[in-house]
Amino acid sequence: MTTTLWSATVLVCLLMYVVLDGYDLGVGVATLFERDPAHRRHMLESVAVGWDGNETWLILLGVALWAGFPLAFGTLLPHAYLPMTVLLFSLIVRGVSVEMASQAPPAPRWTAAFGVASLLASFAQGFTLGTLTSAVHLRGDVYTGSAFGAFSWFCVLSGLAVTAAYTALGYAYTKHKSSGLLRESAARRGAIATAVAGVLLVIVLVTVDTTAAPLNLDSPGRAFAFAVLLLFAAGGAATSLVTFPWKRQSGAADTLPLGGLVIATVSVFLALGVARYPVLVPPGLTVDGAVGPHPTMVFILVGIGLNMPLVLAYNVFAHRAFAGKLDAAGVHS
Amino acid sequence: MSLLDLSRWQFAITVMFHMTFPAITVGLSIFLSVVYGLYWRTGRAVYLQMFRFWRRIFAVGFAIGVVAGAVITFQMGLNWGVYGAKTGPIIGPIIGMEVVTAFFVEAGFIGVLLYGDGRVRRGTMFVSTVMVSVGTVLSSTWIIAANSWMQTPAGFKVVHGQFEPTDWMRVIFNPSFIWRWPHMLAAVLISASFFVAGISAWYLVKGRAKGFARRSMSIALGIAALLMPVQLYLGDSVAGHELPRQLSKLEAIEGNWDNGDTGFVLFSVSDQQAARNIAELDIPCLGSYIAKDLTCKTAMPGLKLTPAAERPDMAATFWGFRVMFLAAVLMFGTAFAATVLRMRNRLWTARRFHRFVLWTTPVGILAILGGWVTAEAGRQPWIVFGQLRTSAAVSRLAPGEVLFSVIGFSVLYLIMLVAYVVYIVRTMRIGPERDDPGRQPPPGNLPDTGAAKDGVPRELPVPLGSRKVAAR
Repeated sequence: MTTTLWSATVLVCLLMYVVLDGYDLGVGVATLFERDPAHRRHMLESVAVGWDGNETWLILLGVALWAGFPLAFGTLLPHAYLPMTVLLFSLIVRGVSVEMASQAPPAPRWTAAFGVASLLASFAQGFTLGTLTSAVHLRGDVYTGSAFGAFSWFCVLSGLAVTAAYTALGYAYTKHKSSGLLRESAARRGAIATAVAGVLLVIVLVTVDTTAAPLNLDSPGRAFAFAVLLLFAAGGAATSLVTFPWKRQSGAADTLPLGGLVIATVSVFLALGVARYPVLVPPGLTVDGAVGPHPTMVFILVGIGLNMPLVLAYNVFAHRAFAGKLDAAGVHS
Repeated sequence: MSLLDLSRWQFAITVMFHMTFPAITVGLSIFLSVVYGLYWRTGRAVYLQMFRFWRRIFAVGFAIGVVAGAVITFQMGLNWGVYGAKTGPIIGPIIGMEVVTAFFVEAGFIGVLLYGDGRVRRGTMFVSTVMVSVGTVLSSTWIIAANSWMQTPAGFKVVHGQFEPTDWMRVIFNPSFIWRWPHMLAAVLISASFFVAGISAWYLVKGRAKGFARRSMSIALGIAALLMPVQLYLGDSVAGHELPRQLSKLEAIEGNWDNGDTGFVLFSVSDQQAARNIAELDIPCLGSYIAKDLTCKTAMPGLKLTPAAERPDMAATFWGFRVMFLAAVLMFGTAFAATVLRMRNRLWTARRFHRFVLWTTPVGILAILGGWVTAEAGRQPWIVFGQLRTSAAVSRLAPGEVLFSVIGFSVLYLIMLVAYVVYIVRTMRIGPERDDPGRQPPPGNLPDTGAAKDGVPRELPVPLGSRKVAAR
């Protein structure tokens, strides 16, 4: 029971992270395609107020894994050592450059660093997720793999898919937060990014069965849930594709692309979760095999679990305090 | 260099780089709460000016602290995977509590603190600032609880090599936590005080923004004067309560190999292999005096009491402690001198003292780093004292992987450190004049790119995408 509850908590952290930091990193990637310095600046400022909170979900995800499934934490991370290290490098550069550019404008070089680091971070994240499909070498409970043992073409594919999906989320967020020319270009490019992400994701789903961690859809319940979630994902993506190009200023035109993509992202991750549960460390280590001792599980379910509503409330507060659009002059409306 | 050495260097570099920033920002966030509270209550412009200026220094330091801190969490699995798997049931939940009760609180309110000025009500602004400082204090509380457990583990049993908690109260309120926590809290407040006082002193030396500089320095040195004596007592208590449980650390701090020295070793060059000091400078009887024995009879234990395989590196432990201790003496003297000058009404005319205070800007940070070197190097060769060896806790990675990350982190951190120092110097040069609410031009006619106009560097008029929360 505690194991299931905590698995759900870890999943919530993962979903919160990919959605929140997804748009955040995506806006960063999108700045690379933007020529107008004022537009780049607006995009940077739109994430400057929230990146810290968004990134904290990654830390909570890591710590939730550490506290609840220590064996998985201690073996998956060495397994993905190089992409994780690149991810940490990029997150450092990104966090510092966003604050530097925001505190001492115009700072074109920091803004450029922000874009490049966002791209690297997105790719490294997708790559890291890809390493979860290759077998982790263990002797006893200790990781014994080699430096590049986790790498495969699937990791590259997964890196590209995640980057495209984050970029689409970033454009949706930019359209939501902007007006005028920036909004138009975000809408155009957002539709393209969504289409690319969709195609890459289909390839990922088709090819994942050739990896060391194929999808487990043996029971009818799993297969049904998986199919329904993928339908949701397709619906969300289609909604975004249709609504991205909507030009007229309206609530729907600005929120539906973002909403559709959020639903699509969450559904895809849930579907993969359904098809993988309960394996944590491929090929054979399950949540039950990696779970921490009972007193730990009780402590984290009470201490961290009960804090989750508060944590969500802080997130809502932070996003609402800076709700609304930035207009062409950069002043809130 | 072995894999273990590389991983240890990597951890030392990342954790010391990280610690530099909380050493500034924890105290600074409390300072910001105080000055904004004063502004809210008195309405005096100088407090708003102080808030805005110090917030600039705080903002970037906070960001670097956050991203560098994120690295450490993941290192526990990346480089210390065996440690992560074995201590996860105890350390994981403590860090988890830090994330939900501190990181998210900081992250939730930092946006308003940094960008809400003029957009939200003063009350909201004040509450947000206070919440950020509460977050930073809670964060240091949990992290000291986790580290103290590694120094003096309690409330656990070992099952199949994994640590399992048996009594959470004893895990969190472990023997060394009780004293190390207030010691650390006072340390970050003092280091921030000297940081603020030093930068303020620069304006007094230059004769710029006097009202701002005097008030900032007055508050900072006042806090330092109150806390320094307390800190000397707390530091002594940490030694008194932690070191009897970690005799090897005490022996390495004292710097003697053999028993019987009643003096205090001020300087030494030690040879770990041969277990002797190549050179040393000893002050007779001082060791005994520090141990509260004025008859000069209490001798210090030597490191040879500890078996060779369980000895920490004497040089690192010894010098870490000396840096902390000598910096503390210097800060105590400075705070004392400031109080004397203040009572004689000469604090604002003592030019040489201002120049001196300018040089003490980083001393508090150095003291904290020295203290951590003592705590961590002195705990070796254990990662969990007496329970788990550091050499058994490291991930079995390819040395090339670790070398890649060591070089990468070192280069990045060096760039970030230089960038932050350059940023501080630039911010100091531009000065707090632009933050004087009386002098600010109306926001309407300012360019939104933030480019300099009329050669006057300035910032964005309003935070983009923000809305008047006050109106709701």
